[in-house]
Amino acid sequence: MSSLIKRWIPTLLFTVLPGLVVLAGYLLPSNQTLVDFRHELVEWAVIVAAFAFLLGVFNILRVHGRQVFRRRQGWFYSLVLLFAMVAAATPPTTQAILEVVRPDSPVHKTLEDATSTLFNYTISPLGASLAALLVFTLTLAAFRLLRTRRSAGTVFFLLVVALVLLGTTPLIGLEWLADVRDWIVNVPGMAGMRGLLLGVALGTIITALRVFLTIERPYSES
Amino acid sequence: MDAGVIPGTFLLLLSLLVLLVVLILRGRKGPIPSVRPLPAFQDIRTEAGYAAESGGAVHIALGNGGLYGEDSVTSLAGLQVVESLADIAVSYGAPPIITVGDPTLLPLAQDVLRRAYERNGAAESYDPGKVRFVAPSPVAYAAGAANLVATGKVTANVTTGAFGHEVSLLADAGARRDLPQLAAAADPAAIGALYPTTDRLAVGEELYAAGAQMTDERRYLTSLVAQDILRLILILLMLGSAVIGFMGR
Repeated sequence: MSSLIKRWIPTLLFTVLPGLVVLAGYLLPSNQTLVDFRHELVEWAVIVAAFAFLLGVFNILRVHGRQVFRRRQGWFYSLVLLFAMVAAATPPTTQAILEVVRPDSPVHKTLEDATSTLFNYTISPLGASLAALLVFTLTLAAFRLLRTRRSAGTVFFLLVVALVLLGTTPLIGLEWLADVRDWIVNVPGMAGMRGLLLGVALGTIITALRVFLTIERPYSES
Repeated sequence: MDAGVIPGTFLLLLSLLVLLVVLILRGRKGPIPSVRPLPAFQDIRTEAGYAAESGGAVHIALGNGGLYGEDSVTSLAGLQVVESLADIAVSYGAPPIITVGDPTLLPLAQDVLRRAYERNGAAESYDPGKVRFVAPSPVAYAAGAANLVATGKVTANVTTGAFGHEVSLLADAGARRDLPQLAAAADPAAIGALYPTTDRLAVGEELYAAGAQMTDERRYLTSLVAQDILRLILILLMLGSAVIGFMGR
């Protein structure tokens, strides 16, 4: 009885039932009640996700705050991270509070500008620079592969990568490489990709069904 | 929405559900079903044990998927790996460091780790700070987790969950330190980026088989058998439709 109340009723009520309602709302779009329920539940999920974000912020404060206070290796970077986090959060948070407290305040525009400046001139370029590093890490990985795994498969992999890269580059006299690249991408590449995605879809469905059938309960002791 | 998609999805879900229920009911007794072994997951628990024995921690990167969105099931599959490795790492007194890129996954990963401590009778030693939210954007997450792998006391790197090509930053940090690395990814971009870095790579659907491969539990193994049967049926259907299409041309 205790197991029924403590384990099964919450599981069925908060996991299986909402899951089935959302799925039914998707599969039976003609039933407006189910569709409305689905939208409502999805909105609740968004609210929960927003609170989870707060948890994430507290986690960052805890982990990096401890790093700074205990002067562990790399504490200065943690301090910079905390400072950057507070600096980035201040303008939008202040704006959100002012919108409630003083909706006619002239500071709104300044805060909005500060937020967009932070995003456009600091966060976006930093993200782009980090993404640019990928070219180097991928190239390094290819070289490392030649060193550590010398096999026919490795040579074939690198040959295909080189062909596809060269085929994307507009080299005079080697225009035929573009056709080779197109063939690689559209025929064997696409076939492999479809097979992969089909397997992923099946794996996704099976895992979701395991949660629905309560075979898998990531939120409680099995 | 295409009207043909919904009956197709419904039919697929229904057939999988029936197959899964039948296999579970049949599989409750008798021998445990055997599945083909995947190199990526073989001996990973032993290796995690060695890594923990050496005094360091196993880093488990769960990627940018959360519980809300299209990557939620991939994240759940990643949590199966955490569940399996956390027990052994905690029993060696070297708890894993888990990083997440979506805050919705944070409490769940913390709970999985806390339960591992409880199972090992060390609930009072549980430190929620071992699960870390790094950053919400994929590239920033990969860079942050890579920094942890590069500078922290990490002795093995496990990458499992929702990633894109940015995972290359993380894998590179592990390769520079010559750490044993295991990776499991469903996104083709991530698979392409991980392939040169580790030969212990679980590709696509293999990620969802992590629970079955690492725990040998009946509940996971039966669902894996259901997945294999349905895949075979789908392949036969595709081949059949291709032959019919070819003959009708």
